[in-house]
Amino acid sequence: MAPTDPSGRDGDEQQFWIRAQQLEKLPPCQAECPNTGNVRGWLGIIAQRHKHGLTLEQAYDRAWEELARRNPFPASIGRICPHPCESRCTRGDKDGAVSINAMERFLGDWAIDRKLRLPLIEGQRHTESIGVIGSGPAGLSFAYQMARRGYTVTIYERRIQPGGMLRDAIPDYRLPRKLLDAEIDRLFELDIAVIRGVELGKDITLQELRDRHDILFLGMGAQGARRLGIPGESGPGVMTGIDYLRRRKLGMNMGLGDKVVVIGGGNTAIDAARSAIREGAAVRVLYRRTKEEMPAAAHEVDDANIEGVEFTFRSVPTRVLREDSLVTGIEYQCRQPGKPDETRQLVVDTVIVAISQEPDWQGLNLSRDGDKWLHTEEDGKLADDLWAGGDDRGPGIASRSVAQGRIAAEAAHARLRGEPRPQPVRRQVDAGTVKTDYYESQGRSERLRRPQDEWLEQPEEEIDLTISSEEACQEAARCMSCGLCFDCHQCVMYCNAGGYSPVENVEPGHYFSLALEMCEGCGKCIELCPCGYLEAREEQTLAAD
Amino acid sequence: MTSGDGLGSLGSIIAEPGSGSQKTLTDGSRIAVVGAGPAGSFFSYFLLKMARTMALDVTVDVYEPRRFCERGPAGCNHCGGIVSESLVQRLATEGIALPDDVVQRGIESYVLHMDVGDVEIATPIEERRIAAIYRGNGPRDSEPLDTHSFDGYLQQLAHQRGANLIRRMVIGVVEEGDRMRVHCADGTSEVYELVALASGVNSRLEEDVEEHSRQFQKPARTKTFICEFKLGRDVIQETLGPSMHVFLLDIPRLEFAALIPKGDYATLCLLGDDIDEGLLDQFFSSPEVKNCFPGGEIPMHVCHCSPRINMGSAKPPYADRMVMIGDCGTTRLFKDGIGAAYRTAKAAARTAVFHGVSAEDFKAHYWPLCRKMDTDNRIGKVVFAVGSLVQRSRFARRGVLRMTTLEQNQSARQRRMSEVLWDLFTGSAPYREVFLRTLHPIYIKDLVWNLVAGNARRADKTKGADGRDGEGRHGPH
Amino acid sequence: MARLGKKYSDGEVIVRQGDKGNCMFVIQQGEVDVLANTDDGELQLRTLGPNDFFGEMALFEEEVRTATIRARGATSVLTVDKKSFLGGIHEDPSLAFRIVQTMSHRIRDLTERLARYERHE
Repeated sequence: MAPTDPSGRDGDEQQFWIRAQQLEKLPPCQAECPNTGNVRGWLGIIAQRHKHGLTLEQAYDRAWEELARRNPFPASIGRICPHPCESRCTRGDKDGAVSINAMERFLGDWAIDRKLRLPLIEGQRHTESIGVIGSGPAGLSFAYQMARRGYTVTIYERRIQPGGMLRDAIPDYRLPRKLLDAEIDRLFELDIAVIRGVELGKDITLQELRDRHDILFLGMGAQGARRLGIPGESGPGVMTGIDYLRRRKLGMNMGLGDKVVVIGGGNTAIDAARSAIREGAAVRVLYRRTKEEMPAAAHEVDDANIEGVEFTFRSVPTRVLREDSLVTGIEYQCRQPGKPDETRQLVVDTVIVAISQEPDWQGLNLSRDGDKWLHTEEDGKLADDLWAGGDDRGPGIASRSVAQGRIAAEAAHARLRGEPRPQPVRRQVDAGTVKTDYYESQGRSERLRRPQDEWLEQPEEEIDLTISSEEACQEAARCMSCGLCFDCHQCVMYCNAGGYSPVENVEPGHYFSLALEMCEGCGKCIELCPCGYLEAREEQTLAAD
Repeated sequence: MTSGDGLGSLGSIIAEPGSGSQKTLTDGSRIAVVGAGPAGSFFSYFLLKMARTMALDVTVDVYEPRRFCERGPAGCNHCGGIVSESLVQRLATEGIALPDDVVQRGIESYVLHMDVGDVEIATPIEERRIAAIYRGNGPRDSEPLDTHSFDGYLQQLAHQRGANLIRRMVIGVVEEGDRMRVHCADGTSEVYELVALASGVNSRLEEDVEEHSRQFQKPARTKTFICEFKLGRDVIQETLGPSMHVFLLDIPRLEFAALIPKGDYATLCLLGDDIDEGLLDQFFSSPEVKNCFPGGEIPMHVCHCSPRINMGSAKPPYADRMVMIGDCGTTRLFKDGIGAAYRTAKAAARTAVFHGVSAEDFKAHYWPLCRKMDTDNRIGKVVFAVGSLVQRSRFARRGVLRMTTLEQNQSARQRRMSEVLWDLFTGSAPYREVFLRTLHPIYIKDLVWNLVAGNARRADKTKGADGRDGEGRHGPH
Repeated sequence: MARLGKKYSDGEVIVRQGDKGNCMFVIQQGEVDVLANTDDGELQLRTLGPNDFFGEMALFEEEVRTATIRARGATSVLTVDKKSFLGGIHEDPSLAFRIVQTMSHRIRDLTERLARYERHE
């Protein structure tokens, strides 16, 4: 080819013939989700339903199935997840991220309302016996993934009710217990049995369980709370956040006073503060750093503010003040930058400590991280017959626990069947290959909430509401389908050579095939493809492969 | 008023609506235009303008998924980008100005490059009447600071007249009872009283229409090649100047090659019979082409494509409540496609507003223009065939060069060859006229003389280092 | 400066009254003065700006130019020749519409001015 090396192009040769290839890529939402949920997939089923002859209801049913393949309790997760997926949504820079969280919640509620079943992997039945310790999100996720593959699963739960932190630590106004019940009960339609009131180390040993089952999963979580370690901490009037939340949900009277201080900045602290406000107390949160550095979800903090919780930042408690063993106040150091520390006091009668979680299980004789957390391989493996997942590997959000349970199950199953674990390695969509200008502007659905004055009047009622079906259907259409074809027709319409043709059996994401021998290497389709599905092949000539 | 041929009669402006059919536009009629290239935009513009003079209240929806303000092929409409002299003048008469940010360059001469020498053919008068434009917003990687797409500008004009621009891709147009339904890729569809197809010959829409219709045959097409070179404004001024550079080379199947300066870029346009990689290789190796680039080296282009062009009219370019305008109907062979789009668009608009939208109406008042163009194209094929002979024969090339050079050097004489070449390259006269000029006895006499003189004297001249004769000017200016 | 048309500098004469002409002009950029030569000197009839045209009468008649057109500031003017125009009208008569409309405005304007002038006499 006569054209010579281009000048001023940093020395690298530009391809003369730019031929295309169709390559599915990982969208940012899926990459960011701890459970690598196929968000684009289940949104696409709804958005592209007309192309597959589905009614809206049928589309929701199918979307539910796709969603539930990885997450068996979306109604619950959809209410508590801080949705990192949305933070990376490509649409965020245009007119607002797709409301993935609201959609997940919608589909979760939809499935409960319509009593939809969890999707099984058909035609499988295995004889190996599976044991799970703990029925929190990790344990339940593991159990679900094994049961849907045809195994018999037994869960050992120390409490009377399954659910782990989902039940214990999340107040009703964030996650109504009847929803959690519905989602957990639905799991028991599969071959999963729960033995309640059995605690590892006390009622049964690890070795016994390992003998009893072919595979054992450890999902004990970390419901222990770290103590402050300051004088005056021991005694009545001081409780941990998790304890307070759990017992409050059980209806137990915790002896909460009128003036409560909550130490901590995570979601547990905020949940505790907002629960205390609902009991009529005056509540102040003391956090050792700034508002921006609080690990709690920002909107939870804002909601707490609205409800009347007060915040003091850059404050570290140093002493609990008592008189006759009753709490009278708390002393703390106020640390302003550039100024010397000030000692201050707050008049309180109750102190709730919610600074950090710790394991509350003993004597497992297993490798631990820093002597605290379980140290496993990346897929959760501890031994050929032993896996672990969830907070017992270190604290994290519920989505991550669900993911770890699932990944461990996939690995355990592969091991049992002697198969290699499927490793779908897909490249992420390059930021900037999605042409956001192509898509029509449409703002995201409004966050639906009950009116603010009602929040405290009906303290146990949910504040957030589920979006309507019309909004869900509109919201699904906002997904840009980053990295996967959604039938926009541009390539087939504008290819001068006529290289694209519709496929016989269309599926979401699969609409056109490319006849490479007809490609003329102009690169137009790649430029036109709005979702980044088409990209340039690495080659220099037009010669057929 | 004659209902047969609406041409040449002022009475065709004032016609009786509905004469000859029952399908007419009335208040509230809805018209769809598929494609907002020049044909679609001109059609919308004139239809709305004319409808207003008849106090007719109609809606025009223009379907175009592109906005032509993106750089590179995505926003481009794949064309050399020349607005011919005749079109520039007609638009000026219509009151449609071409602003400076749309006109990348005013062209004032053509430089003809052949192996036997070069000659510059200036406009008959000292002014720039040919506009070089970007159909899109410039090539990939260009900075669109002072450029505005021609198509985008026309789209804007149509919008200002009241056309609704709908950013959706049309994938089908189907009869539905006594109306036409337009189907879009996103699943939506709408019904219209008239659909004007202005989708060109590079979209698959016409294939779809052809499949659904028994009589319709889409246009014959051939493959061309267009690419852009980034050279910089100053370099272009120096090497190319305000001229379009035309190459008449002895390469089989290559009918026409032109290099058009525009701002910081130069567009190369090759027309012929299915341009392919081998032909490109030959072309880029020719010294005549290389010498037009700085240092005699052709740099890597920044973008390229192989768009198809219309080589034979759609048959017929109309149906009940549907009319094909621009490239997807009838156009001029090789040249002045934009001018042809303007003419067919306006004729279709006139027919729709003043006569009706049935197949009979279009046959009576629109088809005559198309047929006229078709006939002229046939003559054009003959003319280009002769041109091919000239390209193949060194003997002929020398004669043509000598005749043209002498004409350009002597301003008093009538420039017959120059005018023939000028009209051929610029597309500003019908091929019939060009052909007739070549039959003029004085032209023939001069040509024969120059063929003899140009070849006889050759033996006495020393050849230049690059094998060229001493005659003719080398390079522009 | 506009990229199309021919450039004229301030004061340059584009069309001279009494010359023969066979084309019309459309202003691309800038302004021109329309001046009539009378026994008493030059009379400015009007000023024209971008997109306006002048010299259109030469397209319909074989007469000489009726006024002098002078550039006012740097101006760029496009020529529309007779052949091109008449060819266009032959195929599409409505092309003349705008010309006819403007000519009618000018007649109206000139009639009013004439009436005023004659009243003063």
